Amino acid sequence: MSSSSSSTSFAGGGGVRPWPSATSVSYSGKRIQKEMMEFNANPPTDCSAGPKGDNLYHWVSTILGPSGSPYEDGVFFLDITFPADYPFKPPKVVFMTRIYHCNIDAAGNVSLDILKDGWSPALTISKVLLAIRSVFTNPDPYKPVMPNIARLYLTDRTKHDEIAAEWTMRFAR
Amino acid sequence: MHDAMANDSSVSASARDFAKKRRVNRSAKLKQCKLDARREQWLSQVKGKSCKVTPMASPPTSSSPPVPMPRPQSCLHDSDMVFASHSPTSNSPGKPPKVGCCPNNSVSSGGSTRSCSLSASDGEEEGARGEENSAIDDWETIADALSAYKVNDGCHPSCDTRGPFVESRVPPAPVNDSGTRSTMNPEPTRTIPRAWRPDDEFRPQSLPNLYKQQSFPANMERHFGAKGWSHPAILSAPSSCPICYEDLDPTDSSFLPCSCGFRLCLFCHKRILEADGRCPGCRKQYSPVEGEMLGMSGVKPLLPFQLSRSYSMGSRS
Repeated sequence: MSSSSSSTSFAGGGGVRPWPSATSVSYSGKRIQKEMMEFNANPPTDCSAGPKGDNLYHWVSTILGPSGSPYEDGVFFLDITFPADYPFKPPKVVFMTRIYHCNIDAAGNVSLDILKDGWSPALTISKVLLAIRSVFTNPDPYKPVMPNIARLYLTDRTKHDEIAAEWTMRFAR
Repeated sequence: MHDAMANDSSVSASARDFAKKRRVNRSAKLKQCKLDARREQWLSQVKGKSCKVTPMASPPTSSSPPVPMPRPQSCLHDSDMVFASHSPTSNSPGKPPKVGCCPNNSVSSGGSTRSCSLSASDGEEEGARGEENSAIDDWETIADALSAYKVNDGCHPSCDTRGPFVESRVPPAPVNDSGTRSTMNPEPTRTIPRAWRPDDEFRPQSLPNLYKQQSFPANMERHFGAKGWSHPAILSAPSSCPICYEDLDPTDSSFLPCSCGFRLCLFCHKRILEADGRCPGCRKQYSPVEGEMLGMSGVKPLLPFQLSRSYSMGSRS
């Protein structure tokens, strides 16, 4: 006990920063906490996010469907899970609300580049939510996870938008 | 054991105080001896006549014999060594390799009295910090004071206009001013009684290099990081790492690993290099040697060559 306390006081007195490999959890925890503070201070438009309970690594978020899109007036719930080595690994974002979108599969997984290979540790959850919100208005039908929806989007846009608006009415109100 | 010592209040505290005072005294004496020896060397070199002792230096005591000073850099060595003897780990990045090999008058604070050395090093850190910031200035101002003393002595009446300027220790003149002056004067080291600025191009090569101290990351952070020590060149840089939100120390702030200008701390950079090795700012691959060397401010241009050579040697053995 004495040795451990002396070693901690030694580290504190010298201002030694712990190695990240030994303290990866608190490492990511500080980052997530800071992100939460910045998010609350400056939330992106039509988005909200915060920890689900007292678990800092599990957030719930809502995105309002942008006006001018078939998802207008919809409230979409998302589950965000931060990995322990966040921000070096991307967070997992899953739609809890059903949505008719060619880049979001039936289980709610978002096919977004920045959530996979395009992830950068400099990105924040706020930027991720803004990217998802822009996917609402600009789907990418050339890299779809729902090929039928993508085909309809390319061939009959009005029909696609009708179905999307109907799904929004049914599931996201 | 150390807790017991810490709780045992008055006796151990006084003992520590005594040890602290003794060590501070000892280091001060050593320093003075060195300065004394150095000054004598200087005087015999420059003037070639018997020197009168300036009132600021006391004669060397028998307990600490005067250490021969081969080069002016030894002052820097001294401060380096104080760091090295107190730093808990020796694998700090960017530390000059010569630090560990200063054998003489090593401070005798072993690991056995860790808390003792820690509490003692508080006072010593103050001194060491002063030494750190003014290590170069110290012996340079000594040299200045000596030449000023020489002026006051009256053997070189040509310099007397600049004597009071040095005596009052006004900050040195701007760079271009010194440039023109030293081109006017053929012997700048003797006729200009003034400290060299680190960016002065006429600065002699034998003077200790300030940049060596800047490339001293972990030690300085360990000792001075929490005390608000800040480098003037990094005031524009972000104060915390955008990845981990830890505060950037001076080394982190002078670390520019990518040409896109995205700054991050060394820990996060190492972490990223262990994974995909792409810059978080522009998502381009970090170029391992070139980018880092471009980023380190004040590194001499021949350093990449030395590093690459040491890399190749390390891989061969």
